[in-house]
This record gives sequence, C-alpha cells and structure tokens, in this order.
Amino acid sequence: MSVPATKARTSMADQANFEADAMQFAPQLYSAALRMTRNPADAEDVVQETFLKAYRAYGSFQEGTNLKAWLYRILTNTYINRYRKAQRRPSEVELGELQDLYLFRRLGEQSGASESAESEVLEQFVDGDVIEALESLPDNFRMPVLLADVEGFAYKEIAEMLDIPIGTVMSRLHRGRKALQKKLWHLAEERGITGRAS
Amino acid sequence: MSRSCEQATEQIYFYLDGEMSYFRRMRIRWHLRRCGHCDCAFDFEEKVKEMIRKKSRTEPSMELIDRLHTLLREEAGNDFDR
Repeated sequence: MSVPATKARTSMADQANFEADAMQFAPQLYSAALRMTRNPADAEDVVQETFLKAYRAYGSFQEGTNLKAWLYRILTNTYINRYRKAQRRPSEVELGELQDLYLFRRLGEQSGASESAESEVLEQFVDGDVIEALESLPDNFRMPVLLADVEGFAYKEIAEMLDIPIGTVMSRLHRGRKALQKKLWHLAEERGITGRAS
Repeated sequence: MSRSCEQATEQIYFYLDGEMSYFRRMRIRWHLRRCGHCDCAFDFEEKVKEMIRKKSRTEPSMELIDRLHTLLREEAGNDFDR
C-alpha cells in the first residue's frame, strides 16, 4: 500500500513551486536584509544566499505553515552567520537607561497643551529619518525591532528566528524602541520639526 | 501619574503588539477610557509603530529580482541534470 507514503509527501512543499510561492516575498526580504546589513551589495548577497538555501530546503518546508516566517528565519540565519560572526567588536551592545514614552514626553514638553501636536510631528518624519533611526540601533536591538515593527512577527517567532529566549526578545525590543525614539527626537531637533518656537 | 497609569505604561508594548491575555487587555482598555493622558500616549505609540512599518521600506532593483529568477532556474536545471 503506497497511500500513506503519498499522503506524507503531499504535506511537504513541492520544490518545483518554489519560485511561484516564494518570489512574492523577495522585495520585503531585500528591504529587511538592507536594514540588517546597511549596505545594498551585502543585502543582495544575503538575499541571493537566502533564496538558494530556501530552494534547496523547500522539500522540508511543511505546507500550510507560515512561509514568510520560514523565509525570514533563513534570512536571519544567513545574515548572522555571514556578518555578525565576522565582526571583531562584540555584537552584544548595551543601551543606557531610557525613559518610557520617550518621544511622546519630549514632544509634550515642547508643544505644551495641544495633545494632537505630537501626532502631527510624526507626519513630518520622512522615510530617510526612520531608516536612519532604525539603522542607528546596535545589531542586537535592531533585529527584534525590525522583525516586530517592520515585519510584524510575534515575540515567539522572533525568539525562534534569533535563537534567544522570549524574555530577551521582549526586553531588547522594548529597549530598542526607546532608543529608536531617542534617535528620532534628535533628528527632529536637528531638522527643527519638534514644534519648538526657536 | 497614578499607579494605574504606571501599570498601563509598563504594559503598553504588550498591548500594542497583541501579546496580552484578553483579561489584561480589558483592564487596559478600561483604564484608557477613563484616562485621557494614557489614551493619548497609547494612540501616539501606535502611530509611531505604524510609521516605522510604513517608512522603512526600500525596494530592490529589477536587476536583483531578475537575478533571483535566473538563479532559481539554473538551480532547477542543475537538479534536472543530476
């Protein structure tokens, strides 16, 4: 009886379908790779290696599970193996103590009574500001923020991708967000969009 | 800032990330309905999160997309040859 074997095989992804299934994620995988490597040539290398590895492993991908998360796990591993291990400096950087609601409080101090002013300031940030702030974060904080805020993964998925405990994901994510807000605040001050009358 | 404001602020990211039990979520909602300042802060943080998502994408070049297609077809060709 060959039925059980056939059944088992149909639950696995067919490698011939990989291009059709996975290429739709190429643009966002490239964007994520660029935020990780901060360099277009390196990002292209990471994405190409990711697609090759994913293609070769596609037979082991369980159909019906999250393909996007599976691809991001390969992307994250590829980046970590290629770049983080090559770095001389320790990849674990600490951030100083940061206040909760960093940007909201700074903006509130400037704008005084008007509570809608804080949200209006956000509209003045351009893509370049957000990218600069994100890329200013140390690697171990940038990865969780990228995976949660930009890519929308759950804490548990991020813990699996980065191979760190879920508690570490939470603390790095929360601290990384505050540091990102601090950077945004400095950029806003530099560009004079804080709402402060100068 | 009251103790309930502090508690809400401590849990703001769990709330916004949807990483919170239904019961805790309801407690936060209850607080936000009664506290304009926290409601404003939560609204702001949600907008920051949305801004980061929307304003941090870079599109790849068409060359890269073409190269990926070629790469996969070559790889499939190699499999066929084996």
